[in-house]
Amino acid sequence: MIGTDTTFAPFEFRDSSGELTGIDMDLIRAIAESQGFEVEIRSLGFNAALQALSSNQVDGVIAGMSITDERKQIYDFSDPYFESGVQMAVDQDDTGITGYPDLAGKTVVAKTGSEGEAYAKSIAEQYGFTVKSLDQSATMYEAVKSGNAAAVFDDYPVLAYGVAQNNGLKTVTDKVPGGSYGFAVNKGQNQDLLAAFNTGLAQLKASGEYQAILDKYLAAPQAAERSSFWDLLTSSFPALMKGLRNTMIVTGISFVVAMVLGLLFGFFKISTSRILRGIATVFVAIFRGTPLLVWAFFFYFGVPQLTGQPISLWVAGVLTLSLNSGAYITEIVRGGIQSVDPGQLEASRSLGLGYGKSMQRVVVPQAFKIMTPSLINQLIIMLKDSSLLLAIGFAELLYQGQQIYAQNFRITETLFIVAVIYFVAIMALTWLANVADRRFNK
Amino acid sequence: MSESTALPERASKITVTGLRKSFGTNEVLKGIDAVVAEGEVVCVIGPSGSGKSTFLRCLNKLEDLTAGHVVVDGFDLADPKVDINEVRRHIGMVFQHFNLFPHMTVAENIMLAPVELKKAGKEQAREQALALLEKVGLREKADARPASLSGGQKQRVAIARALAMNPGIMLFDEATSALDPEMVGEVLQVIKDLARSGMTMVLVTHEMGFAREVADRVIFMADGVVCEEGAPEDVFGNPTQPRLREFLSKVL
Repeated sequence: MIGTDTTFAPFEFRDSSGELTGIDMDLIRAIAESQGFEVEIRSLGFNAALQALSSNQVDGVIAGMSITDERKQIYDFSDPYFESGVQMAVDQDDTGITGYPDLAGKTVVAKTGSEGEAYAKSIAEQYGFTVKSLDQSATMYEAVKSGNAAAVFDDYPVLAYGVAQNNGLKTVTDKVPGGSYGFAVNKGQNQDLLAAFNTGLAQLKASGEYQAILDKYLAAPQAAERSSFWDLLTSSFPALMKGLRNTMIVTGISFVVAMVLGLLFGFFKISTSRILRGIATVFVAIFRGTPLLVWAFFFYFGVPQLTGQPISLWVAGVLTLSLNSGAYITEIVRGGIQSVDPGQLEASRSLGLGYGKSMQRVVVPQAFKIMTPSLINQLIIMLKDSSLLLAIGFAELLYQGQQIYAQNFRITETLFIVAVIYFVAIMALTWLANVADRRFNK
Repeated sequence: MSESTALPERASKITVTGLRKSFGTNEVLKGIDAVVAEGEVVCVIGPSGSGKSTFLRCLNKLEDLTAGHVVVDGFDLADPKVDINEVRRHIGMVFQHFNLFPHMTVAENIMLAPVELKKAGKEQAREQALALLEKVGLREKADARPASLSGGQKQRVAIARALAMNPGIMLFDEATSALDPEMVGEVLQVIKDLARSGMTMVLVTHEMGFAREVADRVIFMADGVVCEEGAPEDVFGNPTQPRLREFLSKVL
């Protein structure tokens, strides 16, 4: 059982059919075959894979992991299987920049916390350029292609893979030697596995198969044929539809929960009890007055640390969306009920109907009619806001789009497809809501 | 009906004693005593701001009483233990702005209370609703929406709705004030028919001719108190209070 990262192209990533592939994957599979052990790979994410290793849920981790002194305290590493390093790339049509001296007065991009960033910063003063840090390889490349940055500093294999995938860049400097990658097991455990890995690696290197695997991913630039937009559409469609499904489900569940919260607190708001009104006011103030993203991080990363209980992505996502929308719906419900003529309640009460019955039969049906357009609006806002859940790794539509362009670097086209899918989904939803509105609110 | 001005032998339906009502620091009713006998038709007149509508709304506790007592059919509305919903079932109320329920048909408006309060099944309630609509001359409008009716028709439906629980008392709060002049007559006719049938009624009205014709007794209110009361011919024909004379000189 081997743990790995979710996406770190070209070491591990999912190809267009969703299969886990990459240098690490090919290596470990080839070694397993030659050394006669079975391998089951679990794509957990980098930090989660290390945690799983520490708690013995996996036997080893291969995840493009640099061998560092700190990590050596906790893990035993194999022989290095890859020598990494930092390289600089510019737009493929750019002939003005051929080396670091040409960067004077310009801006370059590098990945937050990476070796590339550290290296770029170390020479920035010497050559007179500024370094801007971004989060993803794909967005860094886009910054260079759009002209917002002159060059990008990134890990050499990641960059080489991108160039091979036609990301529109070319490398212009030699690689600066950096860390080397190794396969890790828990310190003092699974030594047989470690030995088998080293033996297998040596054999692959001797047979030339090792180089073949590297070439497959890092080979001569422009090796991959640039596929048409139609190919991109058909190959990415299944993954995007899966994302759309998750977007719809999380929005649907959250909207139901938000309606319950909104009705409850909306009635609290118009209640005669000062305490209930206070509770509702505080609820609205908190969740309307703070960004959605803060709550997503809080529920997914903060709550487990406070309680010691892991929380599922779905629970964190639904909590985030429904509490936020619940606050807005509270105000919609309050406004809706208050905009019904008070004479309606008086007429109903004067007939001898109680407050609850009068609300239920006379006031709320009319309030709903008033509220419907605002509620449809809120539903659409929520569907779009659900894309923020990508920040905690929830596999909704935009997240799936990011996964796709992280692998093929076709940001603009992929985002265009994603936007069209959102647009169509929202138009369909609006149409459906209006049909329902006409049927129930005659 | 002038012979019925004072009938001590008749049981009292509503007894009001020392009624005061304040909104914040503004005292609108400053101690009112009044009695309405069974079958009596009482019209309340007075300048705007005199508190007559507030007085009427206290009779079924649409306004909470600040002080004093309103006893209806033996139930004291000032007593918090009294089930106000039960008392209200015996008091029909008609509003200036009709307050029909726009999301229901005319028949559904009338059926709501009998059905919700389990007084009648749906079938039975609809039959009764049609009979009431017949009475106000709108049977053919049973399945129309209130929005499609004229003001006069709306108010006639509102009267039918108020009658649906077979109340012993009817309250009218300026029932014709929001109507176009040509529609006042049809509504007043329905109210007149109701008065002749022996219903106990309290009406706040600006229709002096109507009050004179239909009332057993007229109460003139000014500044939150009962200024003068008596038989219509006395109040209109021989007013004693300067405030009443001044009022009548303006409206007649």
